[in-house]
Amino acid sequence: MELVVAGNSVRALRTGRGLSQAQLAGAMGVSRQTINSIEVGRYTPSLALAVALARYFESTVEEVFDVKEP
Amino acid sequence: MSRSLRTRVYYWATPALSLLFGLAFLLAFMLGGHPVAGAIALVLMLVLAAASLVLGRYSETMRGLMDRRDERIVSLDQRAVNGAAMVLLLVLIGATIEEVARGRSGAPFTWLAAVFGLTYLATLVVLRLRA
Repeated sequence: MELVVAGNSVRALRTGRGLSQAQLAGAMGVSRQTINSIEVGRYTPSLALAVALARYFESTVEEVFDVKEP
Repeated sequence: MSRSLRTRVYYWATPALSLLFGLAFLLAFMLGGHPVAGAIALVLMLVLAAASLVLGRYSETMRGLMDRRDERIVSLDQRAVNGAAMVLLLVLIGATIEEVARGRSGAPFTWLAAVFGLTYLATLVVLRLRA
């Protein structure tokens, strides 16, 4: 079964907590550019990073990332 | 090895290798009777090492390439290496064809292409067994 990430709520979750991209990047151990690329949908993170983001926001991967069948 | 130690080792690998290759160039040029050219090569490699350290402080991309922490930058690096390797392979094949057409053996391009192909196959087998 093929799945694609149609969107995500990383930006909304981040701004909702008053965090900058750099602060979230620091917490995740990635660059600010990577957080920006994820937010605008240019980069789909690995499973490990997706889970780390979901845990950081005390959420689930499915809630953070809109995963659909194409 | 912990992640922070691995990150530090990766970070210092680029300048350390630049220094090592610079010394190797110096030794090679000295053995070949061209010590001045060797000194220039060493200086160039030292400049490269210094530039990598300076850029690593100001550029997220450069830092990511050096410390390998950022999965997206590592992925970009791997794709760039794939592209460069593909171009190199095409050049090797083209050069081999030209050398053969000129009535020569095709060396050293045939050997380089063979090393490329065998390395690819060996890497593929190892990765296949591990994954």
